[in-house]
Amino acid sequence: MTADTISAIIVSGLVLGSVYALMASGLSMIWTTLGIFNFAHGALMTLGAYVAWTISNSAGLGLGLAAGIAVSIAALIGAGILIERIVVRPFYDDRDILLITVMTTLATMIFLEKGIQLIWGARLKQLPPIIAGKVQLFRTTISAQETLIIVVAPLLLGALWLFLRHSRIGRGIRAVGQNPDAARLIGIDVSRLFITTFAMSAVLAGLTGVLLGSVRLLTPDFGDEPLVKALIIVIFGGLGSLSGTIVAAYLMGIVEAALTFFIGIYWAPSIVFLLLIIVLLFRPQGLMGKVAR
Amino acid sequence: MTKPANALEIRGLRAGYDASDVLLGIQMHVGASERVGLFGPNGHGKTTLLNTISRVIRPRAGEVRFMGEPISGLAPQKIVERGLIHVPQANRLFPDMQVLETLELAAFTSRARSDLKQNLDYVLALFPRLAERRAQQCKTLSGGERQMLSIGVGLMCAPRMLMLDEPTLGLSPKLKDELADAIAGISSHGIPLLLVEQDIAFILSLVDRMYLVDHGEISREISRGGEVDHQEIMNMYFGSEAS
Amino acid sequence: MPISAQWRGWALAALVVVGLLVPFFIQDTYLRHLFIISYIYGVVAASWDLSLGYAGVFNFGHVAFFGVGVYATGLTAKLLGIDPWIAIVIGGVAASAVAAVIALPVVRLQGVYVVLVTFAFSQLILQLVISQSQFTGGTQGMVRVPTLRLPGYNFLRDYKFGYYYVAFALLVLTTICLRRIVRSDFGLSLKALRDNEDYGVSRGIPIGLQRLKVLVASAFFTGIAGGFYVVYLRVASPEVFDFSTASLVLSMVLVGGTSSIYGSIFAALGLTFISEGLANINGLGEGRFMLVAVAMVIVLLFLPKGLASLFTLKARGRPSLEGKISGKF
Repeated sequence: MTADTISAIIVSGLVLGSVYALMASGLSMIWTTLGIFNFAHGALMTLGAYVAWTISNSAGLGLGLAAGIAVSIAALIGAGILIERIVVRPFYDDRDILLITVMTTLATMIFLEKGIQLIWGARLKQLPPIIAGKVQLFRTTISAQETLIIVVAPLLLGALWLFLRHSRIGRGIRAVGQNPDAARLIGIDVSRLFITTFAMSAVLAGLTGVLLGSVRLLTPDFGDEPLVKALIIVIFGGLGSLSGTIVAAYLMGIVEAALTFFIGIYWAPSIVFLLLIIVLLFRPQGLMGKVAR
Repeated sequence: MTKPANALEIRGLRAGYDASDVLLGIQMHVGASERVGLFGPNGHGKTTLLNTISRVIRPRAGEVRFMGEPISGLAPQKIVERGLIHVPQANRLFPDMQVLETLELAAFTSRARSDLKQNLDYVLALFPRLAERRAQQCKTLSGGERQMLSIGVGLMCAPRMLMLDEPTLGLSPKLKDELADAIAGISSHGIPLLLVEQDIAFILSLVDRMYLVDHGEISREISRGGEVDHQEIMNMYFGSEAS
Repeated sequence: MPISAQWRGWALAALVVVGLLVPFFIQDTYLRHLFIISYIYGVVAASWDLSLGYAGVFNFGHVAFFGVGVYATGLTAKLLGIDPWIAIVIGGVAASAVAAVIALPVVRLQGVYVVLVTFAFSQLILQLVISQSQFTGGTQGMVRVPTLRLPGYNFLRDYKFGYYYVAFALLVLTTICLRRIVRSDFGLSLKALRDNEDYGVSRGIPIGLQRLKVLVASAFFTGIAGGFYVVYLRVASPEVFDFSTASLVLSMVLVGGTSSIYGSIFAALGLTFISEGLANINGLGEGRFMLVAVAMVIVLLFLPKGLASLFTLKARGRPSLEGKISGKF
C-alpha cells in the first residue's frame, strides 16, 4: 500500500465521513429526544437540495446560491415543523409510537419524493459548488467543494455539540430526551422542544443535501441511499449517543473508502451492510451506545 | 397589590389516572408563609394530589388557586413560571447530565434565570456534597445525593412555593436530619411549603399544620397548636384497632 | 356451528366461484392484468400480515422476500434454462432460505433493532442484486425472462386468461395455507408470544423456533408470488425492493386490518385497482403514491382500532412521551 493509496483512502473517507456525520446527527437528535426514527430524513435532504437549486439556478429563479441556501433553510424549518405536527405528535401517547412513526414517516418520505418528482421532474440536476477549483490534500487532489465539506462538517457538528452541551435550549433538549416528566417540572415546554429538535434536524438534513447536491447529481430519490446509510450509522454508533454517531460516521466513511478501493465499488456497499449486521448481532447497542432502552 | 391570604387553595379537586378517580374532592389550603404537611398511607392520593396541582395530570373537577390565581387550566411549564415548584418523589432526574449542568438548567424560566447565580451559590452551600460532585453524572449519585439534587433543582426554579414529595424516602436517619435542617432553612426565607411524608416525626418537626389523606379525601386536619398524640396518629393510620 | 361461521363459509365459497368466473365476464386484457397483480400483492400482503400482525415480528424487510423470489426465479429460468414452473418453486425456496438467515438476528434482538436489522438486510440484498449486474442486469433489470409453458397451451396468446387462473390458484392456495397456519397450535402460540412474550416463554413456547418458522412461512408464499410475478411480466427490476412498493404493500396490510388475512387480501385488491387507476390519470403518474402515503397516515391516525392487534404488542421501546403518567419520575 503506497502513501498515495493511503492518502486517497483517508481523504475520500473524510469526505464520505463528513457527509455521513452530518446526516446521521440529525437522525440521532430525533432519536435521543423523541425516541423515534424519521424515515423522511433522506427526503428532507432532497428537498433542501431542490429548493436551493430552484432559487439559485438560472433555470429557476436565478437569485444566487446564498439566497438558495437561505430559502432552503427556511423551507426545511417549515417542513420539519409540519412533519412533527402531522405525523408524529398525534402519536405521543401511544405506546407503540416507534413502530407507528416508522410507518408514518415512511409515508411522508414517499409523499415528499413523489411530490418532488411531480414538481421538478425526474431529470438530473446539479447544484453549483460553493467554491470552484481543485485542492491538493496530502497526496490527493480533490475538488474544492469536497474540501469545503471536510471543513464545514466538523464545524457544524462542533457547533451542534457545543449547543447541546452548554446552551439552555440545548441542555433542555438533552434533558427532555432523558426524562421528559422531570423536564416539565422545571418549566420546560416539552412539545415546543420537540418541534425545535425536529426543525433543527430538518435543517441539518437540508444543508447536507445542499452540500452533497453539488458533488453528486440531483434526482428525486437522491436521499434514499443516504437515509439508509444514516440509519446504519446511528445504530452502529449506538442509539442515543451523538458522539458515537459521529465517530461511527467517519469510521464508516473510511471503511467504505478502503473497501471501495480494494474490493471495488460493486461489492463495497454489500460488505458494509453485512458488517453492520454482524456488529449488531454481537453488540446490539452498537459501538458506543447505551444499553437498549 | 396585597398579598393573598393563601399561597395555595384547593376546592373539590377530583383526579385520577385511568377510568376511576383517585382524588375524590380534596379541600385544603396553604397559608402565605405556612408549612403544611400531608401524610397518610401509600396509595391514597398524596402523590396524585401533588401531580394534579403541578398539572402533571389533569384535574377532572374542582379548583386550584396559587397566589389567588386559578391554575388548574394551565400547562405545567406555566405553573413553574409562576413559581409553584413540585419536587417529585424518587426523582431520577437526568441520568446522563452532570450535577452542575442540571442545576444550571433548572433555572430554565426567565424568572429563575435572573436569580441563577444567587440560587446556585445557596444550593451549593446548602448541600456541600453536591458541590463536591458537581462534575459527576446524575446516575452516579447515591440515593441521598439524588434527593439533595432534586431539592436543589427545585430551588433553582426560584420557587414562590415548594411542594416536596417524600424527600427523605429511603434515607438514613443522619441524612434525614441534614435534610430537615435544609428544608427548615429554605422555609425560613418565607417560602410556603407543602410537604408529603410518611415519616411522622419528620413532618411534625417541620410543619405548622397537617392533613391526613385517606382514600382520596382529607379526613383530618391537625394543627401544631394542639397537642399531637403519637398514638392518635397511629390510630388515624391504622384505625382504632391498632393500639 | 354458529350462524356467522356458516355464513362465512358460504360467502367464501361464493367469492371463489366469482373469482373463477371473472375472466368470462371481463375480456379486457388490462383489467385482467390488474386482477392478476392484485392477487400477487394479496399473497405478499397476507404473508406479511402473518409475520407482522399475527406474530408481531417487526420485519421491515418483507419486500426483500418478494424480490428474492423475483430474481431467483428469473435467474434460474433465464440463465439456467430451468422450467419456469419449477423456477417459481425455487423462488419460494430461495426466499425461505433468506428468511431463515434473517431469523438469526431477529430472534436475538428486540423492538427497534429488529426493524433496523431487517431493513438493513433488505438493503443488503438490494445491493447484492444491483452489484451483480452481469447476471441481474443491475439497475436496468432483466428482460426476456421465459414464461410459463404447458404442453399445448400458449400463455402468451390468450389475453392473460391462463395467467389469471394461475394467479388466482396461487392466491386461494396461499390463503388456505395461511388460514390453516393461523388456526393451528402453531398459530396460537404465535399469538401468545405476541401478546405476552415473557409469559409465553415461561410456558415453554420456543420463541426462537417459532419466529424462525413464521418468517420462513411468510417468505415462502411471498417468494412464490415473486416468482410468478417475474415469469408473468417477463421482466425483473430492482424496483421491487423499492420504498414505494414496500409502502404500498404495507398500506394493504394496515388498511386491511392487521391480524386479518382476508382483510389484507381485500385491501390488496382495492389498493391495486385504486393505485393503477390513479396512475392513468393524466399527469399524476408516480404521484399516485402520494395518495397511498396519505391514505396510510389517515388509517394510522383515525383507525387505530382496526390496527388494535398490531398494537397490543408488549412495549419494548421507550415509554410514551406524554400521556400515561404513573407519577414515577
